[in-house]
Amino acid sequence: MSELAVRVRGVSKRYPMRPQRGRFHSLKGALLRGELWAREQAKDGFLALSGVDLEIARGETVAVIGPNASGKSTLLKLVAGILHPTTGTVEVAGRVTALIELGAGFHPEISGRENVVINGMMHGLSRAEVQRRLPWIVDFADVGPFIDQPIKTFSSGMYVRLGFAVAVAAEPDVLVVDEVLAVGDQAFTHKCLDRIAALQRRGTAILLVSHDLALVEQLAHRTLYLREGRPVMSGHTPAVVSRYRSDVASQEAGEAASEVRVGGKRWGNNAVVLTAVELLDAPGRPVGSVRSGEPAALRLAYRVREPQEDFVFGIAIHREDGSHVFGTNTDLDGFRPQRLERDGEVRIEFPSLELAPGRYVVDAAVHAVGGLAYDYACEVCTFLVTAPVGWPGCYAPAHRWRFSGPDVQAPPAEG
Amino acid sequence: MGAAAGAGALSAARVGVEQLLVTLHRQRGLILVLVERELKARYRGTVLGYLWSLLNPILLLAVYSLVFTLVIPARVPTHVPYPLFLFAGLLPWLFASGAMLDASVVLLDNGPLLKKVMCPPEVFPAVTVISHLVHHLLALPVLFVGLGVAVAAGRATFPLTALLTPLALLPWVVAVSGLVFLIAALAVHFRDLKDLLHNLLSLLFFLTPIIYTPELVPEGLLRRAVLANPVTPMVQVYRDVLLLGQLPSLATWGWAYLVALLSWGAGTALFVRLRETLVETV
Repeated sequence: MSELAVRVRGVSKRYPMRPQRGRFHSLKGALLRGELWAREQAKDGFLALSGVDLEIARGETVAVIGPNASGKSTLLKLVAGILHPTTGTVEVAGRVTALIELGAGFHPEISGRENVVINGMMHGLSRAEVQRRLPWIVDFADVGPFIDQPIKTFSSGMYVRLGFAVAVAAEPDVLVVDEVLAVGDQAFTHKCLDRIAALQRRGTAILLVSHDLALVEQLAHRTLYLREGRPVMSGHTPAVVSRYRSDVASQEAGEAASEVRVGGKRWGNNAVVLTAVELLDAPGRPVGSVRSGEPAALRLAYRVREPQEDFVFGIAIHREDGSHVFGTNTDLDGFRPQRLERDGEVRIEFPSLELAPGRYVVDAAVHAVGGLAYDYACEVCTFLVTAPVGWPGCYAPAHRWRFSGPDVQAPPAEG
Repeated sequence: MGAAAGAGALSAARVGVEQLLVTLHRQRGLILVLVERELKARYRGTVLGYLWSLLNPILLLAVYSLVFTLVIPARVPTHVPYPLFLFAGLLPWLFASGAMLDASVVLLDNGPLLKKVMCPPEVFPAVTVISHLVHHLLALPVLFVGLGVAVAAGRATFPLTALLTPLALLPWVVAVSGLVFLIAALAVHFRDLKDLLHNLLSLLFFLTPIIYTPELVPEGLLRRAVLANPVTPMVQVYRDVLLLGQLPSLATWGWAYLVALLSWGAGTALFVRLRETLVETV
């Protein structure tokens, strides 16, 4: 595990439920009865977040998803240092930049250039550092000669572009992003995503709050799913996002949230249940390991409790560290569901399983097209891929070397 | 985990009064830029620009001269022209009351910066104090030019004590800093403070020997109230040194500095105490 940039341990945040007039009933009461000096009662108020643990390594991107009022933004503000936790600790290494509202704090009367200096300094840069990055900022925000005009003359697009440019120019060690990547036109959104990717490569730890699940899947290595201030699930992004989609779909269908089993790694409404998920070798026997490049298949056996007309079978393969290797489902590959009535099985066959040697973990699921999970099983099966050579990575295509020039001795022929 | 040294180390926020000073020192660059912004934005779009910083006190002095020589001739026993006497008391008062009134809205006005750009809150009261101090320093030459005119006309003598101006100004700066921190933090929790403050300051203004000398107040309860007013020694020190050319008594100096230190102590202690709740209440 590489160096940690953010460590959140056992954090809860309670917002005091204050009377209309503020924290203290009156100035008199505050002064006479000493309310001003007394700690606020920890048991009063609204618990926005509780029992949250989160670690983000350098260069890692973690997304927080969940319905509204689930505590996402509170968590983000805690990491940014804007709020302080009621219990637990929040530790952050290095400089934090928050992208919560683009251009927040621009002063309308003074020029774009002066605003950039002030905003950049608020993001922790020195005046000289801002000056050095100014040409890049002006170029990135694409505001041209307007940079010397008062901010109040800027179009709203120029305003948010300049806000984004200043914030990311700071090259923070930790970046927290709250739902701001959706602003601006397509071209600018792409530019923002490119810049985020550059920061990721540079080692910036990113905490992202978004309702845009496609964006989360694209950017986040891991995802934390919060509901009513409590963590529901945390882990590699595809599974967590699927879980969230399923919960949203079941809620829309008016059902209770999915039943959860096996330590939070399996959920669904059990209308269809996966009874077995296993790796098969070429002759079709269940095996625990397979040679790289040989044929193999994954078999999903299921039992139907309630017949369905809307169903998708899917699998995902990832490494033990959570990095995604491959995933697909019947819907993605173009199969339209007709009827699912009797128990049976589904196989996905790989004529040549071109995986690098190592251990792999399989998630399997049967769910509705909209995401409602019948049965979603994470890490339901693991298998080992062997190879004569310990190739790194996860892809090991058939290959051969051809030399015209160098003198080499061929490896001994395989027995 | 390998937490690197310095800025790289994982650190949780903790704040005491020392920490407040450390933050202010670390953010000095930002504070100066914000003061600059404050001064620039103030006169942006006006024809005369920075000249207003000079013109405002000149016009104020002109108005008071007119009113108190032609309309209601004042009977204050001083050896300098009354408008100058008044002006020398008014200048530090305007510095203090202006900064305090700004303090009552400064955190609320900068709410977006506190909540969304995570600017440390103590930066803003500091900016308020400094920008008002800059205005005060810009107005000081007007006092000295006015004094010069009076000297040339044979109506006053130039006070050698003016060399001690920094010592007379220091208690004002310290006291105003403390009170600005105090008011800024309290105003977030008590929105009524802003209106209350206006009236309190009016009352205090007339309880302070600015437009009069304490000797003019009828003996008894009222005179005692004026003398017990903590602002009184501060005004006396300032006016004695800058205008009247007399050295205040050691007791007056002591009172002024004691008032300043107490204000500073109370203000920063309260600000630090309320600091964590400021951002979520703004």
